[in-house]
Amino acid sequence: MFPNPHSQNKQTSLSLCVYLMRPENLLKQQEEALTTQKCSVGCPVLDRFLRGGIPCNSITELVSESGCGKTQFSLQLLLSAQLPLSLGGLSSSSLYLHSEFPFPLRRLQQLSHSFRSSHPTLFSSHDPCDSIFLHPLHSAHQLLDLLHNKIDSLLSNPPPNTQLPIKLIVIDSIAALFRSEFDNNPSDLKRRSSLFFNISTKLKSYANRFGLAVVVTNQVVDFVGSSDGLNGLRVGNLACLYSSGRRICPALGLSWANCVNSRLFLSRNEEVLGKETGLVDDDGFVQRRTKRQIHVVFAPHLPESSCEFVIVREGVFGLER
Amino acid sequence: MEVLRLAVSATQRGKLISAGYTSLSSLSSLSPSDLARDLQISESEASEILKAASHCGRLDNSDGSHAIVTGAQTAWDMFHEEDLSRCITTSCADLDNILGGGINCKEVTEIGGVPGIGKTQLGIQLAVNVQIPVDCGGLGGKAIYIDTEGSFMVERALQIAEACVEDVLEYRSLRKNFQACQVQMQPKDFLNNILYFRICSYTEQIAVINYLEKFISEHKDVKIIIIDSVTFHFRQDFEDMALRTRLLSGIALKLMKLSKKYSLAVVLLNQVTTKYSDGSFHLTLALGDSWSHACTNRVILYWNGNERYAYIDKSPSLRSASAPYSVTGKGIRDSASNYKRIKMM
Repeated sequence: MFPNPHSQNKQTSLSLCVYLMRPENLLKQQEEALTTQKCSVGCPVLDRFLRGGIPCNSITELVSESGCGKTQFSLQLLLSAQLPLSLGGLSSSSLYLHSEFPFPLRRLQQLSHSFRSSHPTLFSSHDPCDSIFLHPLHSAHQLLDLLHNKIDSLLSNPPPNTQLPIKLIVIDSIAALFRSEFDNNPSDLKRRSSLFFNISTKLKSYANRFGLAVVVTNQVVDFVGSSDGLNGLRVGNLACLYSSGRRICPALGLSWANCVNSRLFLSRNEEVLGKETGLVDDDGFVQRRTKRQIHVVFAPHLPESSCEFVIVREGVFGLER
Repeated sequence: MEVLRLAVSATQRGKLISAGYTSLSSLSSLSPSDLARDLQISESEASEILKAASHCGRLDNSDGSHAIVTGAQTAWDMFHEEDLSRCITTSCADLDNILGGGINCKEVTEIGGVPGIGKTQLGIQLAVNVQIPVDCGGLGGKAIYIDTEGSFMVERALQIAEACVEDVLEYRSLRKNFQACQVQMQPKDFLNNILYFRICSYTEQIAVINYLEKFISEHKDVKIIIIDSVTFHFRQDFEDMALRTRLLSGIALKLMKLSKKYSLAVVLLNQVTTKYSDGSFHLTLALGDSWSHACTNRVILYWNGNERYAYIDKSPSLRSASAPYSVTGKGIRDSASNYKRIKMM
């Protein structure tokens, strides 16, 4: 019914529906299943929790303090994006823009190893790491420059030495780009929020044109002060976010929250096992464990919910309740 | 009432009035099939009525005495039309209550709130609810959904449509109105009637809004335009804020005109932002002060404890009031705690 947007629309940056001045048919690609295309996160429990995974054509934000599993999540996503559509992937390669150094290459190798062994037939001949492209980021302006000038050709022509086009972009982390350069005064904040919208618009328009899944990770800041007024402004399903026993809030503030379509929050809290019974182990220590959870803060397609997960050698896995 | 002067039978006149066609102008832009559907008469009968109406209209124009006030309406006529113009329900009784029955046709309503409060959910709900058939108190129209943020999710729209179909079937079985049940309603049809535009820049946004006039003149069954959100593309590097204001007020004027001309509802979703004044930050809807004059009604969505609330911030006809609502799997519904309260009584 519609011409293929990739062939028709390469030169112009207008989206197809505007180009033709015709509304899109919402039933078009979904002859069999009426859902947005999703990218599996590499665990059936988490996929069920996310109703299929990370949605294409939109920006999903993962927010957590450091060490909660943002990067683990992203790395696993880079691998599962390569799975064929029938297995929940996008059958695509992926682009990983990292502003936090160094890049955890060893961990990626480890994950790729177990990924390969769980799909031996698919990756017998090539290494999944070959379909992951890395690019360092040093500043917000560099990211913008990349989005304006370089990424277009990268997305329209499948990169050499892999047949898979790029369908997944991960930015880890967006917060690191903004934390040093800007002051906490009105004019700097205004400049900063204008940049947010610029970056987000670009990302969304590529996501829409090429059917990309875009994931950005964000850091948190400690919550200081009283909870009334603007400071404690509630965004999303959770009245306040707690991690490691502290109250925190996502970095970059309200205007950035307007720039993403979905926000997922990863929390980590120490839990004392057998607290009720007062059980201690043989050595007299109270047994503790880390309880990790992923929460939907807001998302157009997900209800308020949360899911417990663990990080093990083989990757990130959800726990069935 | 102008229809009283039409050369049609008394029953036809009665049907016209009860369906809300009181003025000649309301008949002027109709197709026979539309009229036939609204009055539940045959198409040939409808086209005869339209012929009589256009004849009558010509007489009026050649008359000359009305010429100077052509296009003008008395306040009394307008009052009647307002009475007859219908509303689109939000699926939340409390919210409908404070809105005077729902989202008003012929008006531009701005709805704003923090991320995750349910703006997009409300937008999708309205795009579905506008399609509730006439015999169930709906408008039986189509929706134009202009998505600037990419938050419209097909599966969510389908979910809300499924719940809506259930409600409609329940309503019909309650009224034992089985004849009307012959029209099968499929959730997929609801998606077909949402005319979806995905917009990726403010130039595109302006282009689409300029194009809407033509588009709607070809699709007269469109009864609501939803822009989700009007704000997004106007919040990046506008050096010239005066230009931004001019562009935005141009958009608002065009939409206002469309809503009047085709008696359809326009819903603009807006974001909130912090505003720096008097040395401190306040929370306010985005796009600045001059934009706040652009819409007829302004509704603000906010959290009150653990409940979502809507507040009428500005309206020429509604008193300021607030009401709780909730976002459920089925879409926008009455607030859960409120529901319990009613049950207990």
